[in-house]
Amino acid sequence: MPAPITPNDGPPRAPAAAAGPAVALHLLATMWRIRLFEEEVSRQQRAGLVRGLVHLSVGQEAVAAGVCPLLRAGDLVYTGHRGHGHAIAKGVPMDRLLAELMGRADGVCRGLGGSMHVVDVEHGLMGATGVVAGNLPLAVGSALAARLRGQDQVTAVFFGDGAVQAGYFHESVNLATLWRLPVVFVCENNGFAEFTPRSAHTVVERVSDVVAPYGLTRETVDGNDVLAVRDAASALAAAAGAGPALLECLTHRLRGHYEGDPQKYREAISQAEWQEKDPIAVLRRRGLASGWFTEEETLTAERTAAEAVAGAVRFASASAFPPADLMEQLVYAPAEAP
Amino acid sequence: MRELPYIAAIEEAIRQEMDRDESVLLFGQNIATTENDPFLAAFGHDRVRVTPISETAEIGMAVGAALAGYRPVVELYMAEFMLVAMDQIVNEAPRFRYMSGGQVKVPVVLKAGYGFTAGWAGQHTGSIYGMFMGVPGLKIALPATAADAKGLMATAIRDDNPVVFFHHYLLTLAPGEVPEGEYLVPFGQASIVRPGSDVTIVATGWMVGRAVAAAERLAGEGVSAEVIDPRTLAPLDTDTIIESVSRTGHLVLVDQATRHASASAVIAAEVADAGFGYLKAPIRQVTALDTPVPYSKPMEEYVLPDEDKIVDAVRRVLSPVSVT
Amino acid sequence: MADTHGLGQDRLVWMFTQMLRIREFEERVKRSFEELPGLLRGHTHLADGAEASIVGSLTVLQPGDQILTTYRCHGYPIVLGTDPKAMMAEIFGKATGLCRGYGGSMHLTDPARGFLGTSGIVGQGIPQATGAAYAAQIARKNQVVLCFFGDGASKQGAFHESLNIASLWKLPIVYVMENNSYNVVTRVEQEDANAAAGEPLSVKARAYSMPGVTVDGGDPVAVYGEVAAAAARARAGNGPTLVESKVYRLSAHGNIIVPPGIPLHFPEHEAIAVFGDTEEYEAAKRGDPVPRFRARLIADGTLTAEGADAIAAEVRQEMQGAIDFGASSPFPEPADAVKFVYA
Repeated sequence: MPAPITPNDGPPRAPAAAAGPAVALHLLATMWRIRLFEEEVSRQQRAGLVRGLVHLSVGQEAVAAGVCPLLRAGDLVYTGHRGHGHAIAKGVPMDRLLAELMGRADGVCRGLGGSMHVVDVEHGLMGATGVVAGNLPLAVGSALAARLRGQDQVTAVFFGDGAVQAGYFHESVNLATLWRLPVVFVCENNGFAEFTPRSAHTVVERVSDVVAPYGLTRETVDGNDVLAVRDAASALAAAAGAGPALLECLTHRLRGHYEGDPQKYREAISQAEWQEKDPIAVLRRRGLASGWFTEEETLTAERTAAEAVAGAVRFASASAFPPADLMEQLVYAPAEAP
Repeated sequence: MRELPYIAAIEEAIRQEMDRDESVLLFGQNIATTENDPFLAAFGHDRVRVTPISETAEIGMAVGAALAGYRPVVELYMAEFMLVAMDQIVNEAPRFRYMSGGQVKVPVVLKAGYGFTAGWAGQHTGSIYGMFMGVPGLKIALPATAADAKGLMATAIRDDNPVVFFHHYLLTLAPGEVPEGEYLVPFGQASIVRPGSDVTIVATGWMVGRAVAAAERLAGEGVSAEVIDPRTLAPLDTDTIIESVSRTGHLVLVDQATRHASASAVIAAEVADAGFGYLKAPIRQVTALDTPVPYSKPMEEYVLPDEDKIVDAVRRVLSPVSVT
Repeated sequence: MADTHGLGQDRLVWMFTQMLRIREFEERVKRSFEELPGLLRGHTHLADGAEASIVGSLTVLQPGDQILTTYRCHGYPIVLGTDPKAMMAEIFGKATGLCRGYGGSMHLTDPARGFLGTSGIVGQGIPQATGAAYAAQIARKNQVVLCFFGDGASKQGAFHESLNIASLWKLPIVYVMENNSYNVVTRVEQEDANAAAGEPLSVKARAYSMPGVTVDGGDPVAVYGEVAAAAARARAGNGPTLVESKVYRLSAHGNIIVPPGIPLHFPEHEAIAVFGDTEEYEAAKRGDPVPRFRARLIADGTLTAEGADAIAAEVRQEMQGAIDFGASSPFPEPADAVKFVYA
C-alpha cells in the first residue's frame, strides 16, 4: 500500500518579505542575465553553433525572475520548450547552459538534450518537455513524491496559455487539487499558443477562469511587472503547502514562437508599446523613480550580465563535442551493482 | 514538367481534393490563423479550422466527423504529437469499422512530420512510423519525392480508411517534378527508383536519396544496385521487393528509424519467409542505432544511417566471406 | 401531474415502454449468464438504473440527430428503434447480430438510426461526438448530437479538450454525463476534486464558459426537460451544454472477469462488495426509476396498473423473442474474421 497522502501539517511558509532596494536590483540583474543570454543564443543560432529549434523568452523574463529566485534551493522546477530563463533564474550555471545549447560535452545534459530539454538536477531544474503540456503531470508527480516523503518542498511548473487547452492540464489540475499537492502552476499567458492567438483556442480569456471549477488558489497578475509576479508567487508558494495554486502571468513574447519565425500571424509591436511592456524597462523606471537603485547601478547590472554571457561563450566554445558513442551508454540505466 | 517543393506538392493534393470533394475538411494546430490563408480563402471556415493544442480532441473529432460522413485531414506537424492521442489512432480509428461489422468507415488522414534530424533533439526527430505498422485497419504512407507526396496524399484522402501520412521534414523544400492536375499514386505499390542487378537496396523517406547516392558511388566500383522505395508501409508491397531479390540475390535495408521492431525488420522477415531461396548472402540492415536522437551534431550523425554506412553494407553483402 | 415539459400522454407512455424494454432486455442479458451458459463472453455492462436518463435524453431526438455512447450501450439503440433481436444476437456473437458478431456488447452501432457507435475506452467517445457535432454544424441540417459518458470520463483530457473546442466553435452538441458515482470500483469523491468538495460535476462546465446543469437522472421527464432545453440552444446555434444526470447503476460495473472454466456472472454491486454499504444500495433500489415512473403515471392517471402490466407482458414477450433469435442464430463463418479490416 502506498503511504496515505496527507497535507503538510508543518508550519506554513512565510511569504517572502516585500521587495526592497536590494531585491529589486537583484531582480533587474537576473532579467538582464536572461535577456542578454538569450540574445546571445540567437546570435549563436544564426552562426550555426546552436542547432535545431530554439524558443526565446525575450519579453517574459519577469516571470522567471519573479518566481524562481524565491523558491528554496530544494524546491523543484519543470519547464518546457521556452525554458532558458527559468533555468538561469533557478541557478543553472549560464556557461554550462550555453554549452548544452551548443551541443558540448560540458553542457548540463552533456550535449544530449539541447535547448528544449535542459535538465539540471543539482539546481532543481528537473525537466523540460518538448511537447506542450507534457511537463504538467510530471510536476504533479514530483509534488506527490514530496508529499509522500513528508518533504516541505514545492514544485513549480511553467507553461504557456496554449498548454491549458491540452488534456494533460485538466487531468493534472484535478489530481493536484484532489490530493492537495504542493505544486504551483505558473502560466505564462502571452496570448499566443505557438502561432495562434488565444481567441482561436478558447472562449475563456483568463487561464485563472479555466481552473475556477476547482477552487484552487489562483491569481492573475501583470507578468511584465516582476515585483507583482514575485509578490503573487510568494503568497502562492506559501499556500501550496496546503494544496495547489495557479499563477497566471499576462506577458508578451517579443520574438517569434521560435527563432526564425516570420510571424506573419501578428503585427509587430510598436517601439512605444514595447517600452511600456518590456519588464526590464518597467522595473528600471520604477526603481529609479523610487530611489531603489541608481542609473549607475542599473548599468553595472547590465554590464555584469554581459560579462557573464561573454564568459559563457568562451567556456562553451572551448568545450569539446561529446564523444560520439556517449549516447549509447545512456539509453538504459545500468543495472545496480549487487 | 514543372517542379514543386515536396511541401507544395502535398498542399496541392489537399487543395485539389478539397476542390473535388466538399466532404474533405482540413483542421489542426497553427493552420489558417489569418483570413489570408489560401485554404481558408478558398474553402472557408466551415472546412478549414485552426484547433487548440488538443491532439486527442483533434484526432477524435476527425474520427467522429468521418463517422458522420466527412473526410478530415488533420495537420499534426510533428509525428510525436500523435503519441498524445494514441488511443484514437490505434484503438479507435482503425477498429471502428471492424467492430461495427463493416457498417461505418473512418476516412481520416493524419498528416505528421517526422525525421527532423537537424538538432531538434529527442522529442521532435523520431522516425516513429514503425510503431503504427502493427495496427490492422491503419495505412501508412511516407513519400520520398514531391510527386509521390502529391500522389500519396490524394490517394490517402480518397481512401476510406484512416491513413497516417508521414511527411519527412528534411524533404520539406526538396523540389521535384510533379504532375499537374489529378495525380494519384496507388497504395501498396513500391517504386523502383533506380534499377540494378547485383543488390537490392530498400529505403524509405529521406533515406531513398541516401541510398541512390550510395548506389551511384557503388556504380563506380562496378556494382549495380537497385533502389526500391515501398512508398507505403501498410500496405507493404513485398512482391516487388522479392521479385527484385530474385534477380539480385542480395538485400540491404535502409531505415532511418531505430532497428528494433522496425519497418526494416519487418521487410527482412517477409523476405526471409517468402524469398529465402533467392538470397545468396545474409540480409543487412542499415538503421539508426537503438537510441533516442541525441542533440549534439556529432552524436546525431553517429546514430543515423548515411551514405557511407549503406555503401559499407552493400560491400559486405556482396563479399560475405569478409563478414565477421 | 408535475411539469411534463409538453410531453403528451402517449409520449409519456411511450417513454415508460422504452424504459421497460431496456430493463427487460438487460435483465435477459443478465439471466443469460445462467440460462445460456457459455454464450456470453467477455465483458458486459448493464445500464439498469439509468433507463430514465437514457429515455428522457433520447426522447429529445429528431430525425437526423446522432448519438455516441460508452460501452454501456444496450439501452440507447433500443429507444432508437434498433431490433432487439439483432442486438441480442450481437451480444451472443452471432452472424445475425447488429454488427455481425464483430463488436459484441460494448460496440453496438446502428448508423442508420443515428447511433454512430461507442468507445470501449473511457472518455474517448467525447471527441468523436464533438467531431460529429462539427460535421452537423457545417452540414446545416439543424441536427444535434448527444454525447453520453460517465462521471469517470470527465477526468479524461479528452473531455477537457472537447468541451473547450465545442464551446469555442458553438457546436450543436449536448454532453450528457451519466453520473452513477462509481468508476468501476472507485467512488467519484475518491477521484474527482469537485466531488470531493461536495460539488456537482456540472460545475466543470464553468471552465469552458458553458452552461452546466445537474438533473435527477431517475426522472425521465426532468431529464427530458434539461436535455430538450440544451438541444434547443444547440439547434439555435448557441453552442453546447453539459448536463449532469445523477443516476445509480443497480448492477455491478460489469460481469466478473474470471479465468477460463469458471462461469461468468454478475457480482454484487460495489457499494456492498467493496465498501460494505448495503444501505446505500438498498436506498438506490427503493428509488429504482422504473417502478418510480410507473407509480407516477398510474398516480396521475396517465396509465392504469392493468395497462402497465399489459405493456410489461408485451415487452417480456418481445425480449423472449430476442433471446430465442439470438440463441438460435448461427455463428459467423470463422474465415469472415479477416473481413472489414479495411474499407
